Amino acid sequence: MKNILLLLVLGSLIAAGCNKSLLDTEPNDRYVESNFWTSPEAVNAALTGCYAYLRNTGVFGTDAVALWEETASPNAYNYSNSISFNSVAKGQQSATVGGIVSSRWSGCFGGIGRCNTFLVKSDEVEMDETQKDKMKAEAKLLRAFYYFMLQCYYGDVPLILEAPDRDTQSDLPGTPRVEVIQQVLKDLDEAAALLPVKYAAGNNGRATKGAALGLKARVLLFEASPLLNSGNDAAKWKAAADAAKAVIDMAPQAGYGLFANYRNLFLPANENNTEVLMDVQYMYPDQGNSFDLICRQYNTNAPLLDLVNAYDMKNGLPITDPASGYSAATPFANRDARMYATVVYPGDTFMNVKVTPARFAITGFGMKKYSIYDKGPSPASQSDLKDGQSETNFIILRYADILLMYAEAQNEFSGPDASVYDALNKVRTRAGMPVIAAGATKEKLREIIRHERRIEFAGEALYYNDIRRWKTAEKELNATIQKYDGSGIESRKFNPSRDYWWPIPQTQLDLNPQLKQNTGY
Amino acid sequence: MLGKNVRLTVLFIIKTKTGMKAKIKRLRLLRRVILLVSCLAVLLCTSYTLQAQQVTLTGKVVSAKDNNPLPGASVLVEGSLLGASTAADGTFSIRANTGSKITISSVDYISRELKVTAGDLGVIKLEEDPKSLNSVVVVGYGTQKKVSVTGAISTLNMVDKEGQPLTNVSNALHGVPGLFVNQGNSQPGVDRSTIRIRGVGTLNNSDPLVLVDGIEYSMDELNPNDIESLTVLKDASAAIYGSRAANGVILVTTKTGKGVSRTNYSYYYGIQKPTTLPDAIWDPIVYMNLKNQAERNGGKQAVDYSDAEIAEYQAGMATDPFTYPASNWFDIALGNGIIQKHDLSFSGSTDKYSYRLSLGYLDRNGIMIGPGNKENKYSIGLNAAMNVSKNLKVGITLDGYYRNYTQPFYTDFWNYLSRTLPILTDTLPDGRYGNSWLRTPGRNNWENPRMLTDNGYSNKEVQRFLTTVFADYKLPLNITYRIKFGVDKYDGLLKAFTPRMQTFNPKTGAAINWNSPSTAPRSGNTDYNDMAIHFFNTLDWQKQFGNVHNVSAMVGASYDNFGHDQFAAEMTGYLDATLTALDAGTVRQAISGNTTKDVLESYFGRLNYDYDGKYLLEATFRYDGSSRFAPGNRWGFFPSASAGWRIDKERFFNSDFIDLLKIRASVGKLGNQSVALYSYENAINLGQDYSFSGVLSSGAASTAYADRAISWESTTTYNIGADINLLKNHVSLSLDVYRKRTDGILRTVNLPAQIGNLSGPKQNVGSVDNSGYEITASYRNSVGNFTYEVSGNIAYNRNRVVNLNGQILYNDNTNLSTITKEDNQMNAFYLLEADGIFQSDEEVKASAFQSNATRAGYLRYKDQNKDNIINGDDRIVVNASSIIPKYTFGFGINLGYKGISLTSFFQGVSGVKLYPTANLAFPFNNGANATWEWATDAWTPDNRQARLPIVTESTGSQDNFLPSTFWLRDGSYLRMKNIQLAYELPTKWLSKVKVTKLNVFINGENLVTFTKYKDFDIESVLNASTIYHYPMLKTISGGVNLTF
Repeated sequence: MKNILLLLVLGSLIAAGCNKSLLDTEPNDRYVESNFWTSPEAVNAALTGCYAYLRNTGVFGTDAVALWEETASPNAYNYSNSISFNSVAKGQQSATVGGIVSSRWSGCFGGIGRCNTFLVKSDEVEMDETQKDKMKAEAKLLRAFYYFMLQCYYGDVPLILEAPDRDTQSDLPGTPRVEVIQQVLKDLDEAAALLPVKYAAGNNGRATKGAALGLKARVLLFEASPLLNSGNDAAKWKAAADAAKAVIDMAPQAGYGLFANYRNLFLPANENNTEVLMDVQYMYPDQGNSFDLICRQYNTNAPLLDLVNAYDMKNGLPITDPASGYSAATPFANRDARMYATVVYPGDTFMNVKVTPARFAITGFGMKKYSIYDKGPSPASQSDLKDGQSETNFIILRYADILLMYAEAQNEFSGPDASVYDALNKVRTRAGMPVIAAGATKEKLREIIRHERRIEFAGEALYYNDIRRWKTAEKELNATIQKYDGSGIESRKFNPSRDYWWPIPQTQLDLNPQLKQNTGY
Repeated sequence: MLGKNVRLTVLFIIKTKTGMKAKIKRLRLLRRVILLVSCLAVLLCTSYTLQAQQVTLTGKVVSAKDNNPLPGASVLVEGSLLGASTAADGTFSIRANTGSKITISSVDYISRELKVTAGDLGVIKLEEDPKSLNSVVVVGYGTQKKVSVTGAISTLNMVDKEGQPLTNVSNALHGVPGLFVNQGNSQPGVDRSTIRIRGVGTLNNSDPLVLVDGIEYSMDELNPNDIESLTVLKDASAAIYGSRAANGVILVTTKTGKGVSRTNYSYYYGIQKPTTLPDAIWDPIVYMNLKNQAERNGGKQAVDYSDAEIAEYQAGMATDPFTYPASNWFDIALGNGIIQKHDLSFSGSTDKYSYRLSLGYLDRNGIMIGPGNKENKYSIGLNAAMNVSKNLKVGITLDGYYRNYTQPFYTDFWNYLSRTLPILTDTLPDGRYGNSWLRTPGRNNWENPRMLTDNGYSNKEVQRFLTTVFADYKLPLNITYRIKFGVDKYDGLLKAFTPRMQTFNPKTGAAINWNSPSTAPRSGNTDYNDMAIHFFNTLDWQKQFGNVHNVSAMVGASYDNFGHDQFAAEMTGYLDATLTALDAGTVRQAISGNTTKDVLESYFGRLNYDYDGKYLLEATFRYDGSSRFAPGNRWGFFPSASAGWRIDKERFFNSDFIDLLKIRASVGKLGNQSVALYSYENAINLGQDYSFSGVLSSGAASTAYADRAISWESTTTYNIGADINLLKNHVSLSLDVYRKRTDGILRTVNLPAQIGNLSGPKQNVGSVDNSGYEITASYRNSVGNFTYEVSGNIAYNRNRVVNLNGQILYNDNTNLSTITKEDNQMNAFYLLEADGIFQSDEEVKASAFQSNATRAGYLRYKDQNKDNIINGDDRIVVNASSIIPKYTFGFGINLGYKGISLTSFFQGVSGVKLYPTANLAFPFNNGANATWEWATDAWTPDNRQARLPIVTESTGSQDNFLPSTFWLRDGSYLRMKNIQLAYELPTKWLSKVKVTKLNVFINGENLVTFTKYKDFDIESVLNASTIYHYPMLKTISGGVNLTF
């Protein structure tokens, strides 16, 4: 009997029973919350994590989200309906359509959650307080950016400023949009107060004071626009104009200005130039985008005839003007230089080859802006950039936008004064276009400024939201889109009582029944 | 007359006597008695004149279970006292009259009667007597007499699968009662089955625990030929494995050496073809016209192929098949597969030692063209034990595989193949890979399947060895101490290389680069280095009191440690595709690696009591500690109890009709710890990087929410069953009714994105019930030399979510449109209800708004909430639909005549739905093809009664392809899994060449399937949402099995 007991005990000992530490295993490939927030390096890494969400699929992505956004507008067409942008263009977006309609919601909230965590948790770390405050200002700017983007499409959204907590945040309903905007402006003001104007080399891409003020101008311009300012409150236009003016005023000190060459503005060689206020930074090979693949081969952001026809002649006259010198036989000759920097057309030369209509078979046109490819041959090592390999940064906000925002807001607030012409003509002059002479009516100038925005920013993911805020989408998106030769591709529909806002994704409604679906979905 | 008879009898006696030398001692006495009786009988009978003709009967008696010869079985002529007994090789010879009957019997086996017809009776199989006290089954940490089992247990003897071309053991389990076995594909190297025992009770890993000779191991890392049997523990009998037992337990027992020394060699060779492939349109003109029509129907004015292009194509097809091909890509890219296997083993035992050494070699060449579709497996098995002393027995087992398999580098091959078009040129006249001169949106890269199978490779080599050493030591007081230590070493190396590839426009010769110079050629290696250490020791004790009280007990402890290591590196900058080693590249692309470890510590025990074999009681417990949970939540206790009653042994029960009647019941608690490591920790993940000024800045962030309180899932299982044998054991029946309640199911709780877009925590939420029944029946009998057996089983399982704390789970663990909520089954389909096809635009206007694309010919969805708009609120839970079948069933026949046998096994499921989507399941998915049905049976104004709606592209025009009941398909099927014709050559031929046994056989696998679903192999769609993966194969094979 003694032997038996001995064996059992022995067996258990070999099995190392009673030794609780046996079950203690710790991961060695990840931090856990309790041991992470301890050093300035950790705080720095957490802030980088806030920026990283700019490259989330719902924000600017690692493929070409920004370029595809243009295909929801009359400027371009996405035949393969990449991330559902063509559904949006056709007025066929729904709560279950997926793609950008669901990823923009989650992507923006992802960025917001990280900024919120950072703003709370960084306080637990002992480090240089000035440095920490500056970093918190960066996080605030990013939070404001994500919230601005989020409300821009969905309207009322839950406003959450605390670190993610499911006990308190799971069933929060949408906060009225105006309250969200108030918080966005508050964050931008606080960020602007602490952010530097410029960074030392190696830190390009971080939030600056100019970015904070410029974003503020954009936010206020949206608020002043017809979609959100149904009473046409002049004070709102003034606020927008003032915000833009603040950036113009700081330009000499900050070194902001228009980059001399419109085409080269978008090439990697000139990244972080004087015109850039805020951008998404990409890097070859791990942190790239697919701009070159999309523009060169996939043609999923094919320019439409409507955009090409919108480019004036070099002499400043629209092609519909009999005096313009436009000839249907040579439709692409003598046009606004920005067309040649933006669009590849039949008869053009691209990558050393003469372009036929079959080269870009979707519409006959290809998009050149934001691609490194142009008329000449490309370096062999970059002749065939694939998915996620392009390093061109995407500019979120540039100085020309500040000028045109100012022109638009100031014209609405005060009518066509000299400062309006001045801002507008600076942009036109850089493009090599004749200046707009003084003497236009406010309404006429409004048309000119809107047209200028379309041309200047074609392919830069701004026009879809411009026609939304101007409430002209119901006209522009109720049309048959056309190829280079005028033949129809398909008909788009836009329901003004529904389509100005996107549906809240069904999965979110399922998970949080407190959210209220937007009208008409 | 008289003299002849006497002479023959004497001859018979002499013959038998010489045979006796080889016989086992314990049978001698019995033999003598028989001989004596026989002689007496002969003397008594000599005065009669025999009318019938006398013949010499020969034959061989074997066990039906494993085909091993049965020495010492008695052969008696009915109505006489003539008899003989079988020799060591199971053979016998006896004189008998034609027309008379002989009875063959052996201890532990059911006797058989045969009518005497001809001289050679061939092989006579005896079935094991289920009432036999010596028949045992393997249970957790031991064995049990079959008659005393109180749990719900199924067994599979691998001998029943002899000669079948099994690549993996899991594929042999089809048809075991209570198991849903689904083989998702037949791809060499990865063609394994998923196994679900009695439904799914968890939202996590639902795979059963598999133990090989008591050690956790993959059954698919064993040569099927080295396996003796598999035991499936379906109810509380699994509770002794505690925290890993909730999904059921499968115990695999490997073969050991038994009896005389033997060498066995077997071989088979087979040819394989896909069972069912989609009926894609391979006529280029039909394709182009239908695609154009689909675009027009979807509202596009610009179509892909102009009339001029189509006319040119049609004209060109006659003269230039390179530029104007009609490519049938399934014919081009797929051919016959080949499978062959050699097995060689040596085995034997004496009272001092036993041994079995086996070698196996499997060679497969899959159905894809090109080199990237092969598998080789080399196995070694060693099982040796020695009786070192009277009390000590030690042994070693070794189960090892070296296997390698290749796949094309682009594992998306099947996706690409499902996207091919008839207009895609295979190769140009000079052999370069073709693309197409026709611009087709969505087809920017023209994935040429031939190019993708010809170039590059992805080759995985695996060496896995399970080595165990064990010792049994007999202690005083009838106690045995057992100890076993096992090491499971897994070494894997995945090597992949992709060269630069180009396709060429057949008209212009312009090239499309498949991959860019910056990413190819590229080479990557991934190294997997896992080691698990297992250890257990037990004390067994048994004793009988007063001849009727049988008591046995077992206690034990175990320790399991699982370690995983992984390391990967990738290089580019290769000059060309000649050298592929990492060193031959110049640019380092990526390096990654990680290490994890988890530990399980357990104590367990079992107590059995039976009263005279009539009343059976069993109780077990297990106490498990797991490192997968936070301190404080680590330990779990899992008890079980079961009882049985042998009614047939009661004195009051006296029936000639019923031979065995046992009822049994069990209850127990089982656990499931399969939750990802460190799920309880709020992790901050690295790799959330961003670049500033072109310089990478490393970022970190939390990406998931964690719940520190998570703990075991626990399943309480109840089972009531009965085993009944009737009609002299010719009929056996087994019935089981069960209910399993899983509490604290662990699942990822989805959070709304507003909480930082974090993935939700793993949490113990709610309860799920699985209840059902299983019936197994078999009938076996013989008419003369003709033996037959039919057997069948059916299992029903009903799944119901009892409680989810008010939560609703959408698309949980599946990318199908499903819902999991209280009072419904898990993952029920959640869909819009399709309500016919719109016949006119007026009808569209009068109905609820779907989208601005809707028009005549489109599907009409039912506006469930009558709000005049079709949206997510109109989805319904489709009753009686689930991705797990309600019924699984199987039946088999086994016919034998002398040495010839014909066996066949059918298997099927019903009460299951499919929802395949994307390429070929839906038409024209982003530039892919469509099936013929869309050309013939889609709605048009002239064909209003068509089955399908109007043809549109399924991308870009989603209206008809919203998740709706229209696309929900019936997944029921019945499949002839196997049919085998075998012939065992007569002993008298073989003995001349000193061969003990020689079987030849031909086999057919998956030859016939009955199903409503025709687009792809039904079995491999059941667990998938697409129809592009390696299909199931039908196999015709033949081989031999030779023992000497």
